[in-house]
Amino acid sequence: MRNKNNGKDFCMFALPGMFCFFAVVIVPFIYGVYLTFTDWNGVAQVKNFVGFKNFGGVVKDGQFWTSLLLTFKYVIFVVIIVNVLAFAIAYLLTRGMKGENFFRAGFFTPNLIGGIVLGYIWQFVFSRVFVSIGESTGWKLFEVSWLSDPTNAFIALVVVSVWQLSGYMILIYVAGFMGLSEDVMEAASIDGASGFVKLKSIIMPLMMSSITICLFLTLSRAFMVYDVNLSLTAGAPYGTTEMAAMHVYEKAFTSRQFGVGQSEALILFIIVACISGIQVYLTKRQEVEA
Amino acid sequence: MRKKVMARVVSSVLVTALTVTMLTGCRFGFASDPDDPNEEEKKVPIDTSTDTFEYDASLNGTNITLLNTKAEIQVALEEMGAEYEKKSGVHVEVMPVSDDSPYTKMISLYNSGNPPTIAILDTTDVIALAEEKAVDLTDEKWIAEAEGYTTELNGKIYSFPLCIEGRGIIYNKAVIEKALGETFDPASVTTLDEFKALLDRLVDKGIEKPVSMAKEDWSLGAHHLQYIYETYDGTSTGAQEAVEEIKAGKLDLASYKRMSEFLDIFDVLKEYNVAKGDPLGADYDEMAIDLADGKTAFWFNGNWAWPNLSEAGAEETDEYGFLPYFMNNDKNDFANQMIQGAPSKQVMVDRQIATEKEQAAGKQFLSWMVYSEIGQQMMVKTCNIIPPFKNNPYEPADPLSRDLYEKVHEGKAFSASVIVPNDHWAVLGAAMQKYLAGRSDRDELIKSIQDYWAEQE
Repeated sequence: MRNKNNGKDFCMFALPGMFCFFAVVIVPFIYGVYLTFTDWNGVAQVKNFVGFKNFGGVVKDGQFWTSLLLTFKYVIFVVIIVNVLAFAIAYLLTRGMKGENFFRAGFFTPNLIGGIVLGYIWQFVFSRVFVSIGESTGWKLFEVSWLSDPTNAFIALVVVSVWQLSGYMILIYVAGFMGLSEDVMEAASIDGASGFVKLKSIIMPLMMSSITICLFLTLSRAFMVYDVNLSLTAGAPYGTTEMAAMHVYEKAFTSRQFGVGQSEALILFIIVACISGIQVYLTKRQEVEA
Repeated sequence: MRKKVMARVVSSVLVTALTVTMLTGCRFGFASDPDDPNEEEKKVPIDTSTDTFEYDASLNGTNITLLNTKAEIQVALEEMGAEYEKKSGVHVEVMPVSDDSPYTKMISLYNSGNPPTIAILDTTDVIALAEEKAVDLTDEKWIAEAEGYTTELNGKIYSFPLCIEGRGIIYNKAVIEKALGETFDPASVTTLDEFKALLDRLVDKGIEKPVSMAKEDWSLGAHHLQYIYETYDGTSTGAQEAVEEIKAGKLDLASYKRMSEFLDIFDVLKEYNVAKGDPLGADYDEMAIDLADGKTAFWFNGNWAWPNLSEAGAEETDEYGFLPYFMNNDKNDFANQMIQGAPSKQVMVDRQIATEKEQAAGKQFLSWMVYSEIGQQMMVKTCNIIPPFKNNPYEPADPLSRDLYEKVHEGKAFSASVIVPNDHWAVLGAAMQKYLAGRSDRDELIKSIQDYWAEQE
């Protein structure tokens, strides 16, 4: 089957993409793995091989594990809220209500604003607008800036991420709902399925492919969160909202422990890859054909 | 029917939103943008008629690059470079560092094989890079003019101290005098108790919370906390000794006098903090506005805060100045008499990639800043910095720098500066934030400082 023509097609279509992928993803990745075994500080001309010393440093770095735990907490909240919310809104927005397209665009807009800008806007909202509202109304909830309390700052992070991510997920779910066959739905109604039963036994299985994509996207995005984290809280108050990705950066560039930072990045990568892989495998199995 | 409901919902949402904005909108008060490109920079004229500096003609036509990590002097440096090019024929391209940290930028420039010929860096960066990459400047003539302000690394000097920066408790004299109804002599406050008494009097006269303090980790972790090392004996050697002793566990912070004294004044500042209700929600821009407007009378900061104050409406003719960081009630303690003023930015010349000619042109640029009449003027008037070179006769124009300049010359400033690991401000800044917010006590704070040092190799 591997005839000459196939080889030419491969060269024309796959090779450029493959080359770029290798040049900007695979090669730096392998180089990065190599760096975890050296004591390179980013600029020195010599790199000494130090074995697993950097990984020893990771084990000792308590703050890394704290931030990893926090990241897990954040991921759980964000993934669940984003998907439930997006699914529900997408469901409402495909029932033929008036102004549907306007609302879809409205929900999608936050996703068009970059994470950094978004973080600064919300920082203003949390520390100035809310406080002003608190001052004029006397509501306890808004009395002090949310960003100066560890729990509230974490909630703020989740709120902003949910607000940003749901729009995109809504779009994918809307596409999924639009793809549902009217025939099947009608048949289900005639057979006496209604409301919750229809949702559970007909819609959910048929929507599984959208759910796979959305879960994968939210999982990986939430694990790798950096921009919103940096611009909204920057780890404040006193380092309690520092997520794993941000900690890796701080370790490498602020503490100048390149090797340890790089090793932490590798560990983070392995965790995210495993979890996303398992998730895709599990949800794929649930997918059915109409 | 449904349409009507929708319309009602939409309109009520709009009304609520508008009311909320109207109620609160007027108070948000954006501080003006410090980087506003439309703002007109007033230029101080530079007298270029006399210039006795001897230029090396063989360097004519050389191109050098200058990495600038002091954003506020970017334009000034470009002007300086242009002036230098006119005289020497050496083209200086000034590269700004915008979003990266200076060190990150240096790393990426070195890794791309395109490092700047000269780079303005922080002292810790120079220490990390110099021995492998910088030109040895130990034999330069200007070393003699900057006595006490150079940084040695294993007996050699690799960097040019660019400016002196100092910090302390900034006061707004007019506000204090207006509140007290009498003239205020900053020299009359000499101890922590006297400072506290002054604060109490201001509170009585209606300034409820007279102090602003930044919640930023660099302010708390570097500018506040480093007093415990710097006041060890007021010299850089002493400060380094303190660090080494803490690291080795020989100096117990729990019983170290300067540690508890530092916390004493920190507690006073904390008590009278204008943002006491939510210290970690304090806004930096607002602090400048508060001090200029007279809502507060003091702000713990350094002379680099002038651009912020000036943005907030302070004039160069206003009287602002520094009070020492009062650590106890001993009038003879130098910490109560002097403010800290030390060289802050260091310039190094690359020797790894730069050619001999480029290195020479870079070194000539540094000497030009010290010895040429034009360079001297531009350092002070255009860049608005305080050069650590004794032969520079020009005085800074803004009140904060002027006060620091005078204190340096009257011997009322100590030049101790401590070299700590690069994440000191970030890690211990967080510990200080926790203490400032009242979520940890002295013991916990001291323990985190000790733990931090125990982890260092």
